[in-house]
Amino acid sequence: MEQPELITQLKLGDESAFTKLVDEYQDMVYNTALGIVQQADDADDITQEVFIQIYQSISSFKGDSKFSTWLYRITLSKALDHEKKKKRKKRFGFVQSLFGADGEEQSHPVEFNHPGVQMEKKEKANELFNALKQIPDKQRIAFTLHKLEGQSYQEVAEIMNTSLYAVESLMGRAKANLRTALKKYYDINNPG
Amino acid sequence: MKMQENIDKMIEEALNSVDDAQRAAPRPFCLPVSMHGMARGTESVWEKAGRFIARPSIAFTGLCLIVLLNVMVVMFNKKSDTATVAEQTVQTQSDEFSYTAITIYDNDNTP
Repeated sequence: MEQPELITQLKLGDESAFTKLVDEYQDMVYNTALGIVQQADDADDITQEVFIQIYQSISSFKGDSKFSTWLYRITLSKALDHEKKKKRKKRFGFVQSLFGADGEEQSHPVEFNHPGVQMEKKEKANELFNALKQIPDKQRIAFTLHKLEGQSYQEVAEIMNTSLYAVESLMGRAKANLRTALKKYYDINNPG
Repeated sequence: MKMQENIDKMIEEALNSVDDAQRAAPRPFCLPVSMHGMARGTESVWEKAGRFIARPSIAFTGLCLIVLLNVMVVMFNKKSDTATVAEQTVQTQSDEFSYTAITIYDNDNTP
């Protein structure tokens, strides 16, 4: 099924078209979400939410941009919302603990292993993902889309609805900030 | 100097560690859960209202409002109680000591 036909079928509420859509794009959505939230369970939840959102708002897709661009935008927006919610929950965690709620689920695992990274690079990738948490959202998005999703700067610019120059600048700052964060980490962990 | 070079090398290795990473795949039952989520999307107005009220922020604000209203009602009742007691005291005193002034006509009519 061609993409325009798929979209038409989706707009008509065809369930088989939805199945096809999930088959085709679930890895893309999941991988992007995972790069942002760095937790497999959360990325799973976001993937579900993205496809539900697409099913419910497919009629609002006018075709001004590529379908994948629209999908990336929804995914990134959901992933960032999810992160904000988690941070808020963490901030008010002590209030919940006063009322006897279980705060265990709010704790983040220290290590994150991206399943797509080669075995010998896992340790370095883990350090990179830790550093990624410390840089601003826009830089993190540009870096994730370019490095993890393999999108060109032009495609990143389209997804982020900005100029090519802005993406180049974002990537430059992202790398500089990551270098600073990683240097700090290695200075502490390799004192000798 | 050697150590600085070593750290720079490690930084570059970390930055390039995800360059040839494969796409991660979600759990295999992604679709059924999405379908279930879509079915959930057709919930009734009452279910939506219930979920809205059950939100922690809404529930907490509601609870605070109820407590505030109760406090206001108690304060108002306390105030009106004091006013009634004061009024009653004046009335009792006037009854007991017969403060009512006797007019000139009362004197004329006395035998």
